[in-house]
Amino acid sequence: MAHNSGNRPSLGVFSQLTRRRLVQNGVLGAGALAAGSLGIPRAARAADEIIFWATGTLDIGDAGWKIIANDSGVKVQFTDNGNDPGPVVARLAAGNANDIFDIGGLQGGSEKELARRGLIAPWDLSQIPNYASLWQWAKDIPYLTYEGKAYGIPTVINADSIIALRDKAGNVDSYGAIFDPRLKGKTAMEDAWINSVIFTAIYLKSSENAKIAEPGNLTADELGLVMEFLIKHKRDGQFRTFWNGWEQGLQLVANQEVWVMTGWEPIVYAARMRGVDCYYAVPKEGYEGWGNNAILLKGAVNRGRWKAAHQLVNALLSGFYGCKLGMLRGYVVPTDNNVAYATANSSAFDPASVRELAEHVKQKFAGKVYWQNTRPDNFQLYETWWQRLRNA
Amino acid sequence: MSFDLIVAGRSSGGRLLFTTITALCLTIMYAPVLYLLLASLNPDAQLGLVPPSRYSLTWYFALLEDRRLAGALEESALVGLATAALATPIGLSAALAYRAMTRMRGIFLLVVLSAMFVPGTIEGLGLSATLRLVGLTPSWVTITIGHLLWTLPFAAVVSLIGLSTVKQITIAAARDLGAGPMRAFIDITLPLMRANLISSFVLAFLLSLNEHARAYYLVGRQNTLPLYMFGAMNSGASPTIYAFSGAVIVICVAVVALVFAGLAEQPGEAREGRRARPG
Amino acid sequence: MVAEVEERVVPHEPGAHENVSARWRLATFFLALPSLVVFVGLGFIPLALVVTWSFWSFDPDTYWIKPAWSLASYAALLENGRATVFLRTAGLAALTATASTLLAVPAATVVCLLSRPRRAALLLALFTIPFFTSGLVRAFAWRLVLGRQGVVNNALMSLGVVQTPVEWLLFSDFAVVLGMVAAYLPFAIIPIVLVFGRIEYSVIRASQDLGAGFWTMFSTIVLPLVMPGIVASFLFVFIVAVGTSMEIQLLGGAGASSISIMINDVLRVVNFPLAFAIATVVVTLLIVLVIVANRALRLSRLFESLGV
Repeated sequence: MAHNSGNRPSLGVFSQLTRRRLVQNGVLGAGALAAGSLGIPRAARAADEIIFWATGTLDIGDAGWKIIANDSGVKVQFTDNGNDPGPVVARLAAGNANDIFDIGGLQGGSEKELARRGLIAPWDLSQIPNYASLWQWAKDIPYLTYEGKAYGIPTVINADSIIALRDKAGNVDSYGAIFDPRLKGKTAMEDAWINSVIFTAIYLKSSENAKIAEPGNLTADELGLVMEFLIKHKRDGQFRTFWNGWEQGLQLVANQEVWVMTGWEPIVYAARMRGVDCYYAVPKEGYEGWGNNAILLKGAVNRGRWKAAHQLVNALLSGFYGCKLGMLRGYVVPTDNNVAYATANSSAFDPASVRELAEHVKQKFAGKVYWQNTRPDNFQLYETWWQRLRNA
Repeated sequence: MSFDLIVAGRSSGGRLLFTTITALCLTIMYAPVLYLLLASLNPDAQLGLVPPSRYSLTWYFALLEDRRLAGALEESALVGLATAALATPIGLSAALAYRAMTRMRGIFLLVVLSAMFVPGTIEGLGLSATLRLVGLTPSWVTITIGHLLWTLPFAAVVSLIGLSTVKQITIAAARDLGAGPMRAFIDITLPLMRANLISSFVLAFLLSLNEHARAYYLVGRQNTLPLYMFGAMNSGASPTIYAFSGAVIVICVAVVALVFAGLAEQPGEAREGRRARPG
Repeated sequence: MVAEVEERVVPHEPGAHENVSARWRLATFFLALPSLVVFVGLGFIPLALVVTWSFWSFDPDTYWIKPAWSLASYAALLENGRATVFLRTAGLAALTATASTLLAVPAATVVCLLSRPRRAALLLALFTIPFFTSGLVRAFAWRLVLGRQGVVNNALMSLGVVQTPVEWLLFSDFAVVLGMVAAYLPFAIIPIVLVFGRIEYSVIRASQDLGAGFWTMFSTIVLPLVMPGIVASFLFVFIVAVGTSMEIQLLGGAGASSISIMINDVLRVVNFPLAFAIATVVVTLLIVLVIVANRALRLSRLFESLGV
């Protein structure tokens, strides 16, 4: 703005207004300071408080954690770790996660490397009575153990496949729909090689008889085969986009931006509530199984939280947590304790729907399921190929 | 002489073009914001527009009870204010130092600007590793340090601009009248830089409020607002986050409106056509 | 008398007086100290760590870094199209910065020259307010504005302009640039508005008296004087756009990439040396860019005061 030259600084209306802006910001800030703490590290916490640093999928809200606290005597403070194993592992390895958090929750596969680096401690299963109630095939997931010790406790399990819009895509029963040229520009996959590569590998193995041994753990040649397939389809414009995270995935389905996409089952439930006629396909090639697991951070042991951590994990498997999670998100804790709890507390949870959800998951896993693995043997090669896909 | 006469008149085509472009800027900036405002009145559990008959304040009420979001907001406000409070004076001193230097100027400018060149994720990771060695507990203090590194170059450049608007002749006059360099600075330069310093403060605050890459590695147990938003978008949270954006807009606009309503047109201003200057 | 004034006034102008007194040097040092403490004390060590680690190797046994010096990470940057990512991100950022600056100059002119004080302040407030909301949520909202069933497409179809939804509005470079410009316009506008303080009201009046039209006044008086603001505006938007990942991830096509996205990808497979190599290259390239710009635009002269 031009100003009148002279000896006196021109104040003018403008600078008065901006001064008020500053005061307003200052008031907001002072209010915030008054309301909360100054962030000075608190003195030693009560021994029965656990900081649970996990993907938001495992959260049951403050009300839910309060009930857990009442039942188990362990207070839980939940912090979202962003649902991306990459930064989580990086923060554990090079950052401050072990200084602040006690239990972590993330997708399985990284337990081996975290254990090797001494960043996590093994669970003492004798301190977790409810472990026995876990479904056997959940206990048997290979990446949960390292050198004979249990490093991950499965907290949430599901089998993923395809979300499809019935009126637009008809009846989908194969991953081939994602790559169907008739649906060009109307499909999507997740922007994560962890999921998308295994789906493609499952499809190529079953329906195109490609020579793939383990879709969850591809050799360099198999990986090249799968990725070239994906690159070709991307170049053809097959995919509308790749999605990343709940809101994005839900938006694509609910706004009918895509007609078929690989995705998480709860998106179907949420989209149906919005009135979209979509369903979760039962693909003939099989599902992709995944789990979010609880890991014990070394820092917690050093801080004397070992006992409380075991108590909490035991509480997570005792039934209430499973019922609540099932109600909130449609995810299942792999134990029969959920049904037992719902039956005993039928005013809070409907036993029939809890049982139905458990049976639904069990039935999926009774068929063909290939386990997701965030750390296949060639995991760095996966990333290299994904870069090529990005640049295609 | 009214300033309107100054820039009106001939080639009003230029004026029309510029005004149109300004309107375009506002349209682009506010399209998503207005959408959010309208969509936040949708009582359904997913983002979308609904006819006005279904408007409801459901999510705004839910917002009032959202402890997690309140905690994140508090943390972000604290970090933002601390960052801005530090970045503004240090940025000013850096700008003054730059102008006072001769040969070291280029290197000094590079040092100052280089902090904004480091990608956020890596900066956060590196700083987190460094601060661990020093033994600093992760909290709003560590986030502020990271954000200070990010916002200081911006504040310094803004101060440089501000200093360049202070005319030499004014300082010369003051010095001529016997003021020492310190006196000239405090009594002449600083008041002239007032709006500039405020802009520097607000800019640093906004930069900090929206920064998440560095914060991820530096944060303690309490997430900042952007990290909370990321978590919510990734794993599914209620539409309170959209109501929150709507609430922020409404509050800001209300504050601005109040300020304008409270400021009656000063007598004589219209006659003189006095124009305010941002500094 | 004149010489005395000059001596007191201009000792800090470059080249004017080589006898910079010891007091001035001390004063300069103390002025620079706080920022040096921050940048060298706090910023240098992490940067040094990062650069050092980028020359070490990934250790498959510990999934961390072992001090085996190697250039493997840098070599890896030349493969698999990683170099393309640098170019693409820089290109998008430059495009966004150019568009933002081109829009910001007229907007700032309207605010500073063509508006009464109240309207100017109101406009400035309006330009700043959106930035108080979350950038992530705003970028996400663009998906609902530009999508197949979005506001724009619905309007176009109901007006009969198109029969089927326009596909390229979303998940395209257009959407990314639009999203970024919308998000970062305030960064472009603020520096230019601030630099308008250099413009003498009386000079404009004088030019009008001499018969200059709007465009003449604009090109001969306004543009040269607001150059520092334009440079700052471009710099701000470019830097922020180079480092962002939100708009590209939310609004770009399948698997769209940027430097930040690539770094996250690489960290996800704990290839720390590669991630640090990327960061080192980014910092180096930007420093080179600033050095080149310094020479070309004579930045050291750009931020000087007027007069004398």
